[in-house]
Amino acid sequence: MALIELINLSKSYDGEKVLDEFDLSIKENEFITLLGPSGCGKTTTLRILGGFTKPDTGRVLFQGEDITQLSPNKRQINTVFQKYALFPHMNIAENIAFGMKISGKTQSYINDKIKYALKLVNLSGFEKRSVDSLSGGQQQRIAIARAIVNEPRVLLLDEPLGALDLKLRQEMQYELIRLKNELGITFLYVTHDQEEALTMSDKVVVMNKGYIQQMGTPEQIYNEPENAFVADFIGDSNIVDGIMMEDRVVKIFDHIFPCIDEGFGKKKPVDVVIRPEDIIIGKVGEGIMDGEITSNVFIGVHHEMCIEAGGFEWVAQNTKSYPVGTKVSIDVLPENIQIMNKPQSEDEEAISLEEVLGEENIGEDNE
Amino acid sequence: MKKYGKLLYLGIIVLFLYLPIFTLMVLSFNKGKSMSAWQGTSLKWYIEMFRNEEIINALGNTLTIALWASILATIVGLLACIGMNAMRDKSRSFFMGINNIPLLNADIVTGISIMMSFMLFGISLNYASVLFAHITFCIPYVILSIMPKFKQLENQTYEAALDLGATPLYAFFHIVLPDLMPGIMAGFLLSFTMSVDDFVITHFTRGAGINTLSTLIYSQLKIGVRPTLYALSTVIFVLVLVFLIFINIASGKGESKISAKSASKEDYDYKGSSPFKKFAIIFGILVVIVFAIKFTPTVPGKVTEKGVVYVYNFGDYIDPEVVADFEEETGYSVVTDYFDTNEEMYPVIKNSSARYDVVCASDYMIDKMIKENLLAKIDFRYIPNIVNLQENIRHFTESFDKDMSYAVPHTWGTYGILYNTKMIKEVPIGWSDLWAEKNKGTIIMPNSIREAYMIGAKMLGYSINTVNEGELKEITELLRKQKPLVYAYGNDNARDLMIGNSAALGVVTSGEVLYAMDENPDLNFIVPKEGTEVWTDMWAITSRAKNKEGAEAWINYMLSEKAARKNFEYLTYGIPNKKIKDLTDNPILNPSDEVLSRCETLKSLGSKGDDLYSKYWKDFKS
Ligand SMILES: Nc1ncnc2c1ncn2[C@@H]1O[C@H](COP(=O)(O)OP(=O)(O)OP(=O)(O)O)[C@@H](O)[C@H]1O
Ligand SMILES: [Mg+2]
Repeated sequence: MALIELINLSKSYDGEKVLDEFDLSIKENEFITLLGPSGCGKTTTLRILGGFTKPDTGRVLFQGEDITQLSPNKRQINTVFQKYALFPHMNIAENIAFGMKISGKTQSYINDKIKYALKLVNLSGFEKRSVDSLSGGQQQRIAIARAIVNEPRVLLLDEPLGALDLKLRQEMQYELIRLKNELGITFLYVTHDQEEALTMSDKVVVMNKGYIQQMGTPEQIYNEPENAFVADFIGDSNIVDGIMMEDRVVKIFDHIFPCIDEGFGKKKPVDVVIRPEDIIIGKVGEGIMDGEITSNVFIGVHHEMCIEAGGFEWVAQNTKSYPVGTKVSIDVLPENIQIMNKPQSEDEEAISLEEVLGEENIGEDNE
Repeated sequence: MKKYGKLLYLGIIVLFLYLPIFTLMVLSFNKGKSMSAWQGTSLKWYIEMFRNEEIINALGNTLTIALWASILATIVGLLACIGMNAMRDKSRSFFMGINNIPLLNADIVTGISIMMSFMLFGISLNYASVLFAHITFCIPYVILSIMPKFKQLENQTYEAALDLGATPLYAFFHIVLPDLMPGIMAGFLLSFTMSVDDFVITHFTRGAGINTLSTLIYSQLKIGVRPTLYALSTVIFVLVLVFLIFINIASGKGESKISAKSASKEDYDYKGSSPFKKFAIIFGILVVIVFAIKFTPTVPGKVTEKGVVYVYNFGDYIDPEVVADFEEETGYSVVTDYFDTNEEMYPVIKNSSARYDVVCASDYMIDKMIKENLLAKIDFRYIPNIVNLQENIRHFTESFDKDMSYAVPHTWGTYGILYNTKMIKEVPIGWSDLWAEKNKGTIIMPNSIREAYMIGAKMLGYSINTVNEGELKEITELLRKQKPLVYAYGNDNARDLMIGNSAALGVVTSGEVLYAMDENPDLNFIVPKEGTEVWTDMWAITSRAKNKEGAEAWINYMLSEKAARKNFEYLTYGIPNKKIKDLTDNPILNPSDEVLSRCETLKSLGSKGDDLYSKYWKDFKS
């Protein structure tokens, strides 16, 4: 059974819909990430779950029990707030001790926990420091420490690593996952960093404008984006118009590409997604289309190149570098071509989404 | 060079800030009453201050009212802020607007409107009414200091506390309140100082016998501020200084103690964290100071068997010892209140916003109050000492109080010319000397309508109560002609300017002469040959007096030789008492019958007459 169920949540601010008929179920010890652009309603979802905001309609179930109207202090849920919300008049130790004091833990237990939590977030010896004297990243880590010492059933984290540098962020990501495995805490994690979402989560929920765009494992989200929004949001992509000639054949810029998708009908306009790293660069005439390299940037392991072919700028990544001006051909393996229905309007987008969700639920039942 | 410039600048600022208070402190140790001349060191004003029950009471009232008002206003204001914080943005800004309006209101409007509401609802004015008024005007300041703190919170920490399992109440007291503490403290201290500073609102809402320092000091302006108040100001200044030093030391210590404690015990206790502690320390010191000064809150007028007499008098217009003697000898207890001018006293009696039994007022005001039935007839069977009254004064009071049935003189005097024997060659003989070209630039004329016109009228041989427009026109013309000769038009400062040798001729009342001659032996005084105004300040019983017997006992006692002697020595104003002729028998305080025959008293002119005078006075002043 799901630990938490959000059923049909809607919320408007000043007539503006922030959440629209939002459904989500979270299983015990699952790591779920809400991913989406700024202002899409991630924090609002967390606040409803934490009990700080009441939804206009819909219910929140915790172990099957309706807790929609329950006040925050009575929920077995702790939150790491996006703006940290540390208590400025208390020192670090007092901040971390706050929740444990209330639940009546002994002083020695509290002292041990403080030590443990500070070590976990890499801030040992910070007990006596005042909140003001900490940097943004340090404050963020204290906020995490303050929440986890209470060993809640569910931990809500609102972009908890946003202020950290890359190395520290990776360390903290690792620690959080270890924590989840050790303590069996269920995580609902918010981020707009897609890489973070993909590396940490059991399940990723991509949101836009209060709707769920796609929900699935990181692999599903990355490899099989269900619509152009998801494809665009997750990683770099070449999203081009195509025409589904028949099953397993798509025409792009008057060139025929073999693919593995079926069931779109004949001569149907579709969106086609091809990841930059899936584009195979070859000598002129060897691939499906010919083109010319127009730019070349080294981005670490790869070179990122733009190829002008068929009137479109393709983004391609390759370990081998081709100088600008080189004439090349491009090819794609059939399984790396992702075909998506074209949304005609926003309504249709929503409807197709519901269909997708329906399918997914069936899929889960079968598991 | 630059460095010296900086130092000089700093020096000037410090001088500006502290020279005045330093002057005052030095003068408080002066033996004499003078504001300018040093007459030897003495602690006499300090002793007088601590003996003076009125000052101590006023100080006590000031501080307890300020303390209670700021405590209650802070609580009420804080609760209001909590409520407003929970409102939607629109209604919150609406209520903030409502809160700000009273801040912009003039104090006098606030004061009068509070007084009127008290009277409308039949609430008598007393200590509580002052306290209530102070709470009222302090609340907006508290809200104004706390509300911005609420905005800074943005509910984040409050929600975090709830999230960690705190109940809303617990979260409020342990998380929200400490964050608000700087605002609360600012509001509290602001209220305290506003309350201590307030004069206008207190003035309108106080009842009989309730004085704060500001009302007490203000009421003494007529006679001139006594040096006891310099002593008092010095004491207050030193107290505040000590208070501030204490706060700094104590709060510094408090903080280091906390960290030392938690370091040794590894105890992460947040209950004693600094915002609370600091507030508690300041608050504690304040309370100790207040109650050290005022052991018990005074209930005005300890009720003795014979009851309380409420006296309303010009500030510092009798020797305080006389009051003590009266209480001792008659068994009544006395509550005195003070005012500065007749015009200030009149509405209080008229509206009976505070009930007084006996009141002191000038002749023309007695006239007006008799006409308006504000005074009760005195039963002279209970005033046997009336035989001590000089007979020659009856002639002057008869004009408005026939057969002396409503009022009995307390002091009297004439207007005349104070002159400096060293600065002019010829001794002046009459008002005409004030129009003499040779005295140009050395003359001080009164700056009040009736006195100025009195002089003009006597010059021209008219009555000083004339309402004949033609005569008034002539007088105005005469005064205008004098303008270029006049050094200054002044009231209270004429005496001091003369003492300081700033002018050679000044119009003053005979009451000030002995003091002035004491300070500057070159001065002398004449009663002008054309005649002048004789004024009397008189005791009268209000028509709504609750203790008429007590009031009559008071008046009788004031006529006794003992009281008259003490009052004269204290005031050096003329006192028309036969028994002290040995002290007052001189032409300054007791002009000859011949001179008196050309004198008159001021009478109430009626509203038409008043308007006429104002019109010409304005004309003259422009
Ligand atoms: N209290 C509020 N009053 C009015 N509008 C609000 C309120 N809270 C949120 N909103 C609006 O709701 C929308 C969703 O806000 P939310 O905070 O959930 O976004 P988010 O997905 O967390 O964005 P971000 O990544 O920037 O944190 C935004 O348009 C925001 O302006
Ligand atoms: Mg957010």
